[in-house]
Parts: sequence; structure tokens; C-alpha cells
Amino acid sequence: MIELQDLISPTDYDPMINWILLLLGIPLLSFISSLFIKKNAPIWSTFLLLVNTGIAIFMAFSFWYGDSVSIKGVWFTLGDTVMSYSFYLDRLALLMIALVNLISFLVHVFSMEYMKSDRNKPRYFAYLGLFTFSMLGIVLFHNLLLMFIFWELVGFTSYLLIGFWFEKKTASLAANKAFIMNRIGDAGMLTGLMILFAQFSTFDLEAVKALMIFSEIEDGNWVAHFTNNGQEVMNSLDGRWLSAAGIALFCGAVGKSAQFPLQVWLPDAMEGPTPVSALIHAATMVAAGVFLLARVFVLLDAQALEVVAIVGAITAFMAAIAALSQFDIKKVLAYSTISQLGYMVMAIGVGAYSAGLFHLVTHAFFKAGLFLCAGIIIHQLHKLHSDEIKFNEQDIRVMGGLRLKMPVTFLCFLICSLALAGLPGFSGFLSKDAILLNATAWAEIKGGGYYIVIGLAYASVILTAIYIFRLVFLVFTRGFRLESILNKPGLMDKVKEGNLILLIPAILLAVGSISIVFGANVKAENTWFMQFITNPIYLVPESYAAFSLVDLSEATIKSLHGWVAIVSISLAVGGLVISYFLYRPISKKALIFQDAPEPRGALGRISFNHWYQDVLYEKAIVKFIVIKGKALAWFDEKILDGFVNGLAKTQVVLAHIVRWFDKYIIDGFVHLTVSTSGRIGQATRSIQSGNVQTYILSAMILLILLLLWLMI
Amino acid sequence: MMPVDHLLILGAGLFVIGFIVVTTRKNAIAVLIGIELMLNAANINLVVFSRFDPDFLQGQVFALFVITVAAAETAVALAIVLKVYRHFKTADLDKISELRG
Repeated sequence: MIELQDLISPTDYDPMINWILLLLGIPLLSFISSLFIKKNAPIWSTFLLLVNTGIAIFMAFSFWYGDSVSIKGVWFTLGDTVMSYSFYLDRLALLMIALVNLISFLVHVFSMEYMKSDRNKPRYFAYLGLFTFSMLGIVLFHNLLLMFIFWELVGFTSYLLIGFWFEKKTASLAANKAFIMNRIGDAGMLTGLMILFAQFSTFDLEAVKALMIFSEIEDGNWVAHFTNNGQEVMNSLDGRWLSAAGIALFCGAVGKSAQFPLQVWLPDAMEGPTPVSALIHAATMVAAGVFLLARVFVLLDAQALEVVAIVGAITAFMAAIAALSQFDIKKVLAYSTISQLGYMVMAIGVGAYSAGLFHLVTHAFFKAGLFLCAGIIIHQLHKLHSDEIKFNEQDIRVMGGLRLKMPVTFLCFLICSLALAGLPGFSGFLSKDAILLNATAWAEIKGGGYYIVIGLAYASVILTAIYIFRLVFLVFTRGFRLESILNKPGLMDKVKEGNLILLIPAILLAVGSISIVFGANVKAENTWFMQFITNPIYLVPESYAAFSLVDLSEATIKSLHGWVAIVSISLAVGGLVISYFLYRPISKKALIFQDAPEPRGALGRISFNHWYQDVLYEKAIVKFIVIKGKALAWFDEKILDGFVNGLAKTQVVLAHIVRWFDKYIIDGFVHLTVSTSGRIGQATRSIQSGNVQTYILSAMILLILLLLWLMI
Repeated sequence: MMPVDHLLILGAGLFVIGFIVVTTRKNAIAVLIGIELMLNAANINLVVFSRFDPDFLQGQVFALFVITVAAAETAVALAIVLKVYRHFKTADLDKISELRG
């Protein structure tokens, strides 16, 4: 019998805790100091982040080969229930802290230039610090409740940053939307936490995992058997709750990682500053959902994983379609992010833990790179604005030919695009290949309808290549379309390449997108990443456990691998070629693109409006809620208020009656008493004439009467 | 010997006269005189009824006491009347109605 208290008992002092606190403390310091000491906030917080990045990278290098470290302690005690906190540093955590810090640092640097002319710089950098702090919290803590707290903090920071320019109505609405969508997911996650707590009486992930191993399925019931403080505990739930717990936890990831059906917030989140989109809405926060799934991966049962895989594939495909026809450069990248997150989630769902995380890491680099390049373009184009020249600097219809003026940006963008499309030689190829390979193996074993799932995944490969090269061709080739739109030749000469502060982060991220970073290898499984972070074994009771890719024989993988690689490469190249024919400089579409209208065909409309999901929500849910709200308002106003008002009126009427009663009955009685005694007094006072002779006379008369009465 | 009845009637008449004087006269002095009359009516009764006393003396002695006390009382009463007159500047009893309720 396993003892719960042993699992969560505090560990001895470990010097590692200092490193962890330092890692968490520096961004927090950056947040607080930027908020209160506004002077030089950008430089100061960037410097702090540099230090933190240094620490993170140092830690990653020095502890990489060591065992994973677990630090536990008592957080607080409620009666007999001990709430523990725990930090957990394994390779995944080390990698994530390095990644989060590095990208956060690069974004800080980039923002120094990008936000230069913004009045609220200190606030901006404070939020970035807070975000880094919360994100590191999710990564470092290994306790579901604490993770949830930081999870919420991350969501809150995202809300603050999307609505950073809250004077803009659209920005504040987008912030609200993101927050609400995240809340919906978080409600699910909280449910998952409660189910696990109900079963295992602890939030500590390691303890949950240990107890999960010892839980069993008996007669369709999920039974956890352990001792708590020496007392035997037997928690039993219907077996379906095991799947429910997994799906509920996944709901949190659905919200945060923008999966179908909650993904609609991410495109709107592009209202925030572009570096924020790079950091939060592309590289790190949205990956938190995938990270969470990785952390609870071993607790997910077959059904939950199936749901995860299907949702991931649907998301990947839907978003890839939507990215095809957007005019806003950031929107294209946003949909692309959703699509890639779908890949990661699908990877987790098919059991490809390490492939999914690998894609998380590679994607963080190339997508952040793409966003920063887009940021440079937007920033530089923004400088063209003057009294006569007004245009939407995010609209790709005004761009074109920027390759000549911004060669470095172009190069970075191209490298990141190649990585995104998954072409060999770039990091995206490795991770996407790994995902596709695992997904194909999964579908082979499951058979039947599950081929649709990987069908969607493969379709997304070609779509990805199409939409990203559409962007490359339309933004960087042919002439500068703004010139002809505004009829101002020579405008292009005014466009300048971004300065070094803008370029260096983008260059570094582009370099990180080249596959050599992960090893001079074409095969994903030979990269250091896949070597070090391997698929774990499921801990759920055997009858509920999914098929594990770990059990797959090497021969099967080998036979599949060649095929998968060929298909995925040819799909990516095919997408590139299609894109070339559609959007190359002399193509029909590129010629008239400057006044391209919104797509009219059924497919085009579906793509442009993202499957009308927003409209559906608007029509079905929002409208329903508004109508419900109105009905409730009516109910409140008429029935509840009516009741309350009626009560008040009754009170008033009652009060009037009581007043009348008081005035006429009670007061009347008192007055009657008073006047009676007054009258009696009046009547009797006349006897007291003060004339002694009268007194004597009356005394005498009475005496005589008395005598008479006595005599008779 | 005179019959008792006549004497009692005399006493009663004298008392009634005194009483009427006391209740009707306005002047305080006159009222005092009335009181005197009533006292003497009582004295007559005392003297008359002393006839039934075997010693014939108790009622008469008592009457003497009454006369003595009445004299003292009259002296006190006159003094009071004098003070009342000084205080109220009148001896008219109708005007002195301090006890009026």
C-alpha cells in the first residue's frame, strides 16, 4: 500500500531551489521595477531578462545530464489536508525555461525599438516581465493547483497585452474575447483538477502519477487505493471519469493553445503589439497548453488521447484553410500558429510526446521569427505615414517588392517560412516529419476512420506551404503596391531596412530555425532533442491505456519513415509550387492583388471568414446569451423588481394603516384618558373653591346626612 | 326646673344661628363670633346634660374648660385674622381663596 504523505513529504534542502527562485524572481523584479520606477524601464528590464536567459541557459547546460530534480515542501495545511508545492526540473523543464527566457529576451530587445515612441513603454515592459514570470511558473511548478494559478496569470497577462492599446475599441474587445475563451477552457481544466483531487487527494503531479500507477479498474470502476496518514483510503469512481479527467484537463489546453472550438480568440489577439504576438501568441503562451498536455500526458487514457488527436487535426486543417485568404499579415501568421498548435496537440494525442514537444520548440523559433519579421515590416511601413499618406500597414495588399529594400528581413522571413512549410534543411521539417511519422503509425494501427485524422494533417502540410509562400511572394516580390494605390511613385525609396535592434532578434530566431541547430541530421529521431526527450509510458490502468508508440517495432517505423518523408516533402514542395504559380510576380493574381476584393466563392468565403465560426458563435451563442440576458433582465425588472416593489408598496400601505391605527386608536385611547382625567379634574376643581365657608357648609350637610342615615 | 327639651332647642337654635353666621358672613371677625356662638351652644348642651350626671358637675366643669380654651382659641384666631388682614389687605373671606383648586 502506498502512503500519500510519503509522496508529498518535504524534501531536504537542495541548492537548486536558489536557482529556481532566481529564475522566477528576476522577471518578477523586472515587472515590479518597470511598473514603479518608470525611468529606463526598457533597458533595465531587457538587462534583467538577459541575466535570466543567461541563468536559464547555464542551468540547461549544467543540469542537462543530471537526473531530474524534484523539490517539495508544505505550502499550507487545511485541517488534515496538506497542500504541498513542488518544483520539478527535468530536461523538458530545462528546455522550456531556456526557450521561454531566450525568446522573451529577444522580444524585449526587439520591443526596445518597436515600442520606442509609445508613451506607455514602462507598462509594456512590466507586462512582459510579468508574463515571463508566470510562464516560468507554469514550467517550474509541478503541482496542478499552482500550475493552474500561473496558468491563469499567463492568461491575465495575455489579456493585458492584447488590450495594451486599450484606447482602440477593437483591442479591448479582442482582449475580452481572449480572456473569456480562455476562461471557458480553464473551467474545464479546473474540473479535471477536481476529478484528480477527488480521486487522489493531492494536486502534486508526481504523487498523482505515482498513485495513478497503483489505481486499478475493477468492474468498470476506477479505484485508487492508498493510505493517508496511515489510514486506508479507497476512492472509487466510474471508469469513465478517468477519460473525463483527461478530456477536462485537455479543455484547459484547448483554451490556451487555441484549439477548436475555442481558437477564435487568437486571430483577434493580433490587436496587441507585434512583439507580443511573437512572444505570447506564437512562441510561448499558446504552447503552454501543449506543455500542460505533456505534463499530464501519462495520465491520459485512450479515449482522452483520441479526442486530443482529433481536435488537433481538425484545428490544424481549419486554421490552415483560413490562413489561405487573409489580407492582414498578422492574421495569416495567427492562423498559421493555430494550425501548428493543432499539429502539436495532434502529436500528443497520437502518443508522439517527444515529437509534439519538438515541434513546440522548433515552432517557437520560426514562428517568433516570422512575427518579428512581420513586426519589422509593419514598423518600417508605419514610418511612411504622414498627413497625406494613410494606409493600413498590416494589409499585404499595400506591400510588395520589399525584398529589395529589406533584404535581411526577407532572408529571415524566408528561412522561417521554409521551416514552417517543413522543407528539409530547416527545423520545421524535422519536427513535422516526426509528428507525421508517428501519426501515420498510429493510424496504421487504429485503421479505418483514423486515416481521416492523418489525412487532415497531410492536407495541412500542403496548405501550410501554400499560405506561407503566398505571403512571401506577395510581400517581398514584384513592385511596391502602395505606390500605385496612392499614385505616388518613388514611395518605395522611403522604405528602409530596420535597424540592428530590430534585426538581430529576427536573425537569431531565423538561425534557430535551421535544422543544423538540432543536429546535422535529416532524420528527426537522430536529433539530440528526440534522443533526450523520449516518449514516456502511460501510467493509467492497463485496460484504459492507449496504444503506446514505445511498443512500436523499429522495423515498422523504418518501413513507414521513407514513405512519410517522401509524401511530406513532396506535399510541401507541391504547396510551394502551387503558391508559386498562383502568386509569382507575373501571375494574374499578383498583378491585380492591390485591389483584390474579399473572396466571393463559397470556399473562399469559408476560408476568409474562418469557417464562419465567429459568425456562428455570434448568431448562436452570443445572440442566445444576449436574448437570455434580456429575458433575465426583463424577469429582473418586471418580476423580481416588481415583487420587491410590490413588497415595498405593501409595506407603505401597511404603514399607512398602522399609522391610522396609531393615530386614531392608540393615540385616541391616550387622548381619551387624558381628556377624561382632565374633565374629571375640571369637574372636581370647582368644588375646591378656596372658600372656607363653603367647605364648612358642605361638611355640615354631609354630617347631617350621615346622622340621618345612621338614624334611619 | 326647666324641661330639658327647651334648653336643647335653645342650644340647637344657638348652634344653627352660629353656623349660619359662620357660613354666611363675609367678615372673618363675624365668622369668629359665629364660632363662639356654636361653642356656647355646645356648652349649653354640656350644662343641660350634666343634669343627668349624679354629681351635676362633670358637664359644667367641661363647659368651663371649653370657655377657657375658646378664649385662648379666640386670641389665636384673632391674631391669625390680624395677620391675614395684613397679608391680604382685607378680611373678606370671599376674597381670600388661596386654597382654590
